[in-house]
Amino acid sequence: MQAICLEQVSLWRRTQEEFSYDLKKTILSILEGKYHKPIKKLVLDRVDLTIAAGEKVGIIGVNGSGKSTLLKVICGIFQPTKGQVKVWGKIAPMIELEAGFDPELTIWDNIILYGVMLGFSQKEMQQRINSILAFAELEEYVSIPLKALSSGMVARLGFAIATDVEPDILILDEVLAVGDERFKNKCKQRLKNFWDANATVLLVSHDLNLVEQFCDRVIWLDRGKIKYIGSAYEAIDYYRDMVNLTVSLR
Amino acid sequence: MVFKRQGEVVRVSQTSIFQNANLVRYLELLQVLVSRNLKVRYRGSFLGIYWSLLNPLLMTAAYTTLFGMAFLRYYDNSLVKYMLEVFVGLVVINFFSASTSQALTSVVCNGGLLNKIRLPVNVFPLSMIAANVFQFVCGSLPFLVIAALVTSESLINVLALIVPLLSLVCFCAGVGLIVSALFVFFRDLPYFYELVVTLIWFSSPIFYPIDIVPANIRPFLALNPLISIIGSIRQIALSGELPDISLIGTSLLTSCVVLAVGCKLFYNWRSQFMDLL
Repeated sequence: MQAICLEQVSLWRRTQEEFSYDLKKTILSILEGKYHKPIKKLVLDRVDLTIAAGEKVGIIGVNGSGKSTLLKVICGIFQPTKGQVKVWGKIAPMIELEAGFDPELTIWDNIILYGVMLGFSQKEMQQRINSILAFAELEEYVSIPLKALSSGMVARLGFAIATDVEPDILILDEVLAVGDERFKNKCKQRLKNFWDANATVLLVSHDLNLVEQFCDRVIWLDRGKIKYIGSAYEAIDYYRDMVNLTVSLR
Repeated sequence: MVFKRQGEVVRVSQTSIFQNANLVRYLELLQVLVSRNLKVRYRGSFLGIYWSLLNPLLMTAAYTTLFGMAFLRYYDNSLVKYMLEVFVGLVVINFFSASTSQALTSVVCNGGLLNKIRLPVNVFPLSMIAANVFQFVCGSLPFLVIAALVTSESLINVLALIVPLLSLVCFCAGVGLIVSALFVFFRDLPYFYELVVTLIWFSSPIFYPIDIVPANIRPFLALNPLISIIGSIRQIALSGELPDISLIGTSLLTSCVVLAVGCKLFYNWRSQFMDLL
């Protein structure tokens, strides 16, 4: 059974230089006749990909090769310019977990807010709240504003909420290692449970050993294109050769 | 079940039982965002909502003291009438300027979030409008209802109040959608928008009678949709007469047009947001 299917997915994005646009400059540049349409760059180039349910897939590639962009397209955050993305099941994105929090709100309110943003109902979240707090070990902080917590505690809370659900598809951008040593082990144990259960996992990492150890299949992205897709061992071997080659050429 | 969105991304969900799961989710999201907004604003004190009445009350007192006597003959020589009309005008214009200015920054402020989780973008400006509606309903609405009851002694006027207020909300939602989308592209927009709000403020007859505006300029004032809304609310709540259907109709029609334009523009520009957030 399929979990994710991408057909000829291409994505064009505006380049970074266009980010600080303002009305004054635009009007003046039109008046001076210097206005030009924003330049766009191809960040994903005709990506074809089918991932079966339960498969563990690693994504490797140098910085800026489109790994995170690919994950965001799969999550539905970016709309592809061309092509089609199909996803079966519930996705738990675990990309920088603190994004959904509001520092002024209490822990309780934050858990509800975050959960609803992830797609759960308020009722469901109220039922989950105790197990989330227990995992994050923050029971005595329920009614305290989030800003009073240390950054490690916030990260723990984020991890606890995102993983309290049983997602069909788990998306990991860089490995999550939050909190102190003891909590890291707890996180690893929980991720391992997902691994053992039949969740589909997408893992982006620069830690090739980790990818090789945990993934069945590896995708190597290079400048927005799939350069190689195959068994973890082959792909990583090929990738290492190429990286070493470019290094020795310099 | 298959949800098709923008023709490109297909999400096949096995978990949702309800056909309208998307709508339910949207409303839940709107609800938590509004409650976040109000909680952050009032820090748990319910009386904080009444703090928002301080501005129109103080301003009404100031205008009445400064201009009340000068404009008295336009208001049947009644200072109370002038005061009430100013207060109603201020409440409406304050709702407009607060809700749309807060909506303006809402999409950009949540840009980080939109880059992490797939969310319907328009929920952010609309939640700002909704939070202000809640505040309005608790703060100013009781006053309008009492005024309508006392002057007209008829429930019809109280019920009819809903229509121009709904127009006001639609108008603000439309403007909020437009400015929040524009702010994604033009980050110096707050400066210009403040100018626009000030212009709308002065072109609305809030503390002056519309009769003092030269007759050849008056048609231009009709371009400001808030005038018909303020006019309609004043007519229903303060005149004591039966609701004027043509005033209600004008305000409802213009605000529906503004809302439709806002939705359309927001939807058209939405695909470019993610490149700039």
